[in-house]
Amino acid sequence: MKETIDRLRSEGSERIKAAGSESEVEAVRVALLGRKGEITSLLRGLKDVDPAERPAMGAELNRLKLDLGELLDSRQAEIGGTGGSSANLVGDLTLPGVPPAAAGTNHPLLTVLESICDIFYGMGFSRDDGPEVELDYYNFTALNFPDDHPARDIQDTFYIDPKVCLRTQTSPVQVRTMERNEPPLASIFPGRVYRNENADASHSSEFFQIEGLVVDKSISMADLKDTVDTFVRNFFGADEPTRFRPHFFPFTEPSVEVDMQCVVCRGSGCGVCGQTGWLEIMGAGMVHPNVFKAVGYPEDVYTGFAFGMGIDRIAMLKYGVGDIRLLYENDLRFLTQFRGVF
Amino acid sequence: MKISLDWLAEYVSWDDTPGELAAKLTSVGLNVEGLEEYRQTFPEVVIAHVVEREQHPDADRLSLCSVDDGTGEPVQVVCGAPNVREGLTVLFARVGAVLPGNFKIKKSKIRGVESFGMICSANELGLSSEAAGIMELATELAPGTPADELYGFSDTVLDIEVTPNRPDWLSHIGVAREVAAIYGTMVSMPPVWSFQPSSENLGFQIKIEDPDDCHRYGAFGASGVQIGPSPDWMQNRLRAIGSRPINNLVDITNYVMFELGQPMHAFDRAKLTGDTITIRAAEPGTLVTTLDEQERKLGKGTLLVCDGDGPIALAGVMGLANTEVTDSTTELILESAFFNPKLVRTASRGLGLVSESSYRFERGSDWDMVEKAALRALQLYHDLAGANILPAWADRQDPDRKAVQSIPLRLWQVNRVLGTSLTTDQVAQHLQSLGLKVQPMGNSGKGSRNAVDMMVRIPSFRRDLFQEIDLIEEIARSYGLDNLSGGSGFCGAGGGVRDQDDLMQRRMRHWFSDCGYHEMVTSSFLGSGDNERLGMSEEDPRSQTLAVINPHHGGDTQLRTTLLPSLMDVVRRNLNAGASTPVRLFQINRTFWPAGAKRTDYLQKDDLLLPEEPVFLQFAVAGWRRSGLDGIPSDLLEIKGSLESLGTHLRLSLELEAADSEIWLQAGSQWLIKDRNGKVVGSAGRVDPGVLDRFDIELPVAVAEINLSAADLTPEPMKFQPFTRFPAVRRDLSLLVPAETNWSSIRETVINSAGPLLEQVELFDIYRGKGVSEGKGAFGIRLKFRSQKGNLKGKTVDKAIVKILEGLSGRLNIEPRSQD
Repeated sequence: MKETIDRLRSEGSERIKAAGSESEVEAVRVALLGRKGEITSLLRGLKDVDPAERPAMGAELNRLKLDLGELLDSRQAEIGGTGGSSANLVGDLTLPGVPPAAAGTNHPLLTVLESICDIFYGMGFSRDDGPEVELDYYNFTALNFPDDHPARDIQDTFYIDPKVCLRTQTSPVQVRTMERNEPPLASIFPGRVYRNENADASHSSEFFQIEGLVVDKSISMADLKDTVDTFVRNFFGADEPTRFRPHFFPFTEPSVEVDMQCVVCRGSGCGVCGQTGWLEIMGAGMVHPNVFKAVGYPEDVYTGFAFGMGIDRIAMLKYGVGDIRLLYENDLRFLTQFRGVF
Repeated sequence: MKISLDWLAEYVSWDDTPGELAAKLTSVGLNVEGLEEYRQTFPEVVIAHVVEREQHPDADRLSLCSVDDGTGEPVQVVCGAPNVREGLTVLFARVGAVLPGNFKIKKSKIRGVESFGMICSANELGLSSEAAGIMELATELAPGTPADELYGFSDTVLDIEVTPNRPDWLSHIGVAREVAAIYGTMVSMPPVWSFQPSSENLGFQIKIEDPDDCHRYGAFGASGVQIGPSPDWMQNRLRAIGSRPINNLVDITNYVMFELGQPMHAFDRAKLTGDTITIRAAEPGTLVTTLDEQERKLGKGTLLVCDGDGPIALAGVMGLANTEVTDSTTELILESAFFNPKLVRTASRGLGLVSESSYRFERGSDWDMVEKAALRALQLYHDLAGANILPAWADRQDPDRKAVQSIPLRLWQVNRVLGTSLTTDQVAQHLQSLGLKVQPMGNSGKGSRNAVDMMVRIPSFRRDLFQEIDLIEEIARSYGLDNLSGGSGFCGAGGGVRDQDDLMQRRMRHWFSDCGYHEMVTSSFLGSGDNERLGMSEEDPRSQTLAVINPHHGGDTQLRTTLLPSLMDVVRRNLNAGASTPVRLFQINRTFWPAGAKRTDYLQKDDLLLPEEPVFLQFAVAGWRRSGLDGIPSDLLEIKGSLESLGTHLRLSLELEAADSEIWLQAGSQWLIKDRNGKVVGSAGRVDPGVLDRFDIELPVAVAEINLSAADLTPEPMKFQPFTRFPAVRRDLSLLVPAETNWSSIRETVINSAGPLLEQVELFDIYRGKGVSEGKGAFGIRLKFRSQKGNLKGKTVDKAIVKILEGLSGRLNIEPRSQD
């Protein structure tokens, strides 16, 4: 049988080479590989081969079958056929394709929010939600904003009544989460917030924030720094320098603002960064002892950090959107540009 | 706060470029948002002599002058100032000069006479706000000397973002303290007036009705003041930081405020009555006229400064017109005080009047500065306005409120919070560099939880420091935040539990976008009249909305109770913008139901005041006129298909039940959506044409909404079921269906009649018209049979078909269509 295989290999390839037209190639194909072809009948005859040799022979035969098939295909292609079948060209292959469904989009704000959440989920954070219509108590008082203090001016607040407002920040969820849970805690709180101001290219009365909170027995500011750097590396890229600037927030102390090198000018100064070379991306700090007091955590046991950032601004930076209002108009000429962005 | 470096250099030195200084200030918390080169320069403006002056031949009020501007040739110029005369030394703008306000000096013809330039007033050069004729110079400088020699000024101005906790940074001296801390230099205070002991009396006593309102009030006197312009150096500095010079008396109080941070107010003594200055609360409704000539009605609690006749100032906010310093003023009473910050804030907000003074007072001023700043102003009155300082002053104070205190500090806590390993000495050095006084407690180095390692004494200008954590922040600033390192990183204290609702919403969002829907983020506010446009009745609980009581100008006030109006808005705008149809949109957003369920597990009882905030999923197909199977609108079929497919995709059971329930959906074209427990969680259908009309939409919109907060969204658990490998048998049937029979009943009958072998029923076509009897439809259905036990025989399938046809015939009067 071995000899027959070898003979068919050399004879077969000769015959394929000799075939001069598509129909001749097809005739050789039938003679060799067809239902009554030589190789097919050899395969049928395998059952009569000595069982010890059968596997080796079978493998050899199959290899021959594949090789000759390839030779036939390439000969056919040389002559001008379409490959493995004898069918002619189907027609104009430049006609538009038919997708399984029209391509929709996810809103860029939520796409950015989602990828930020994913980074923190990967770092072991959980997620919690809180109400958007919020008590003044949670939005301000429990966060160490004294009543009637200028610190409240930073955030122009929509009030429903003197005790109820639209949350100006996601930070009240910190308080709600701590009220219901004992440390260790690590959670993020994404969501919509409201500020009582007129809209322009960089202000909107509604926008999105994400807040993060970590509390345990020995969380330090160095840990905060490390967490922020890990986030920035993951979200913006490996080589983006950051800096911490002291700042003031009533509910953290020490408080900082975190800047990263301007993604547009790489630190040399441009219109986007106001010539400073830096872009402010978040506020952060160590949870103020008065906040721990408000949620009933014992004194001197826990430390923790919190951070918060505006999603709109980050989305605008990331995608080069110059006017925040575009994010809320839902114009398809805007949205459809985000096809495939995740 | 704008800081002039020319000015700052008077109190502190630093050896760095302005850019480096700005970077270092930023790194300790004085965020420098702008660094601006300030130049006051007057190109093509020169010193000149008026050589001749004649009357303009054709205008009574104009003069025709010949001016020597140093070029050798006399220059002819027309001048309108009444004070122009021969022999004056003036500032002359040559042709080509550009004065402030982009005022270009060109050759011109005035009433028939040519004029080659302009003799300038201080106002025209931006050097004064008063238009009082041309400037008359007393200088020896030769004609042709550039005006810059006299009035040129260049400076670098930093624009610093000052957070509300640091009112001390609202002054040059406060910033100088930080500069000194950074560079290890000293702050030198400006010269102040020193009183000689005297038995004389100011002539006024101070009466504070409630010591809680005003912790300290000082009144000082000056006589023989000569009002006039303040010196150039003072004007230049004020202008550099954006403050307009007015006259020496006004400029001095402003200058000292920007210098030392203490707002003060000067009264014209001649206009004060009685012998007592009283600080008291206003009677509500009192009418006063402030310095800005506005009449204002005072609210309850506005703190007043009064003389014998009544109010003379709104304490800490603004003086009143009745005691204003004017050109005829010769005697002053200078007020320097510490007002209760809350009262100043209340008054300022109540009146809608924010002044440089109120801005500082409401953030808290410096007790010690009350006196120092007044003495500084007196010195300047003496030096710059020729004033005679009265030897006596009145000072009413409540020393207990000075609030200078000492704060205990534990090294243990410092290092715990910052993640550092600082020593007591290092900590002390950082604090001392900021002007805080440190007293070690003999526990040095122990660093244990209960060991106070030092007491830190707080100076009066740091009213923001109350407790240990405030000191730790100061240490962090001084140590340098960028030096913090060695954070272990944070790794999963809680282990990161993913919220099921979040996962579900995320899958929905991706599924919809994959299926061609575009995601919207819409406002939580309703447009005015939106709920009425929906045709919502007053009995509908969703007609009860929450409204904000202080919307921004022209803003919407009501929070939405449904997502529909926002969809209508987006659809209208996109259709008007020519979007290709169908427009597929979706959103997952909150609504606000004050009439909804109240919380039960609250920790603050006031949580009962909060609305329910159900989250809705909404998706829509808009602008599609096409009809689909059996003439049903394609958009309706797609909405239904999307819902069913969504259910499959998320392993949810979402049942649709045709029923008219939603007011804004068209009758006969809508469904209820039920979750697996049979609970109604939403609706779907075509928006009623009347509603579309009221939202100005001309094309149809089909929409579905599901209350995700109410629905059971737990996915059906996955458990593998063994399947058979025996092949299926397919059979198609064509049925003649009477008009009133719906697909759902046909499907049910087929399933019930077929027996266990039927695996799947599909409707693939409906045909009406030629060849089908009037009133009937030909339904093409495809059936799939499979046995779990073996290969199905044709005969077995035939038997099942017969049963199906019997069932259809008997129950629904449906017959197979004959093959003719």
